[in-house]
Amino acid sequence: MTFLRRLAKDPFGIVIFIALFLFIIGPMISVVLWAFSIQWRYPSLLPTEWGLKFWAQTFKRADILQALPLTLMISFIVTIVSAIICLPAAYAFARIKFRGSQFFLLSFLATNAFPRFGLYITIAVIFLKLNLISTILGVVLIQLVNTLLFMIWIPTAAFKGVDKSLEEAALDVGASRFRVFWQITLPQVIPAISAALLLTFVGTFYETQGAILIGLPGIRTMPVLMLSLINNQLVVQYGAILSLTLWIPSLILLLFARRVLSGKTLAAGFGV
Amino acid sequence: MEASQLQRPKAKLSKQAWVAYALIAAPFLLMVLLIVYPASLSIVRTLRPEVEGVRRFGLENYQAFFSDHTSVTNLIFTLWSTGAIIGLLFAICLPIALYLRFTDSWIAHWVQGLALFPLFVPGIILAYALIRFIGPNGLLETFIEVTTGWQGYRTPYLKPAGSIIGLVWEGIPITVLILTAGLAQVPDNLIEAARDVGAGRLQIFFRIILPLIGRSLLIAFALNFLGVIGAFTLPYLLGPAAPQMMGPFMQRTFYNVLNPDAAETQAVITFLLSSIVGFLYVRSAVRQQKEET
Repeated sequence: MTFLRRLAKDPFGIVIFIALFLFIIGPMISVVLWAFSIQWRYPSLLPTEWGLKFWAQTFKRADILQALPLTLMISFIVTIVSAIICLPAAYAFARIKFRGSQFFLLSFLATNAFPRFGLYITIAVIFLKLNLISTILGVVLIQLVNTLLFMIWIPTAAFKGVDKSLEEAALDVGASRFRVFWQITLPQVIPAISAALLLTFVGTFYETQGAILIGLPGIRTMPVLMLSLINNQLVVQYGAILSLTLWIPSLILLLFARRVLSGKTLAAGFGV
Repeated sequence: MEASQLQRPKAKLSKQAWVAYALIAAPFLLMVLLIVYPASLSIVRTLRPEVEGVRRFGLENYQAFFSDHTSVTNLIFTLWSTGAIIGLLFAICLPIALYLRFTDSWIAHWVQGLALFPLFVPGIILAYALIRFIGPNGLLETFIEVTTGWQGYRTPYLKPAGSIIGLVWEGIPITVLILTAGLAQVPDNLIEAARDVGAGRLQIFFRIILPLIGRSLLIAFALNFLGVIGAFTLPYLLGPAAPQMMGPFMQRTFYNVLNPDAAETQAVITFLLSSIVGFLYVRSAVRQQKEET
């Protein structure tokens, strides 16, 4: 009764909630239902036969077994390369005063200021001449483009937020610069940096537009494979099972996000 | 003595500055090589078509684009879809953001969670999910038929509405995020003061809130505009085969028609279309950054 009374206090909220729920969660529900169905004949509201038969079949497919490790490998490479080149830069932006630092920091907004696919086409034209089409190097390079802004701006904000008095105190009592960095600076920025790493990894794992343009025909990452499964597969369940499985990295991000990613961290990546 | 003391910190600074330049060199060069260079090269190349074996300045590439019926139809279709998507996004997200700003209930927390949820659903999974949901014989059609008995459902899948629905779904979280960030900066006492002198809800919204969130509206508009013009996956999977949005159209020209020159011209046209919006976005972000430091 009190529950209903509380609901009645906020009628507008309930309307928004129900509408959003249908629109946002509705499509997700149909994926889950399809993934655990063996047969679903129209017009039944629920699958006519439930089961896991197609799970085994999906993960026996040679194309999927090939694409999964390849995609994981490319995502790892992109994340690690991005971290190696961006994190030192983030440290410089946050902690060293130099001429033009503001300009250089803002220049990375260029990654957001172009319509993405048009930009990829212009990159693809160059890669075509360099024979980088259909190579892992080509895919890694085009996916690095997406990672720069997040990997520089989020850690820069984190390094700026480090409590300097702690560092100075440690230096005063004779700690070496390396030790101060390792034991005082780093622990304070680890949460934000791991958030940036995770965002980069997950974002790269699902990156479709660059991978399809540069990777095909030789390099087929999971999202690109998924694209062809959606377009030319008669068995609906393959797509559903793959969607659910592919969603695992994102789910980890979602759970992690509640702890580490604040709206502000995310907004920093959009230049808000 | 005094002079050298004054100079010492300066000299130290410049040595550190060199370290800083060395540290930022790699990502900056990568950004220039992978964004600035290809984009500007394409702009120049498309303006220098090859006529009888010689490259010279000329507008032939653009003439070819604008005299081709398919290209022009696709361009107009892209702009029309973009307008519809941004209009829908504001119509959906502004009420949500206002609700979140002025309500602190557990329903509001759930609404916020739902609105941000699409951030964690990759485009490719969304495309598949929407096909199963709104597609022919999908969950929505079944649901309508089972509950109401109505059989007139016509699927938006592979029609213009298909890509619009997908891109609106995908655009909700950042739009809500940006608008709530803007609304958070509207001071409570300003609204209370207006209420005290008898201003109605609409008056408060148009006279007080709207002028104060101008920058958030601009950033939300710009990011969605750039996002939709530069989209590929969702319009490719959910939209019609003709007319096509620019993303799938460029991909087809590059990959299936094997005409990179024409694809390049199409790409530069999307740059031109979004150049003003891109500029406004960068300028606004630059101002924001400068105010913070």
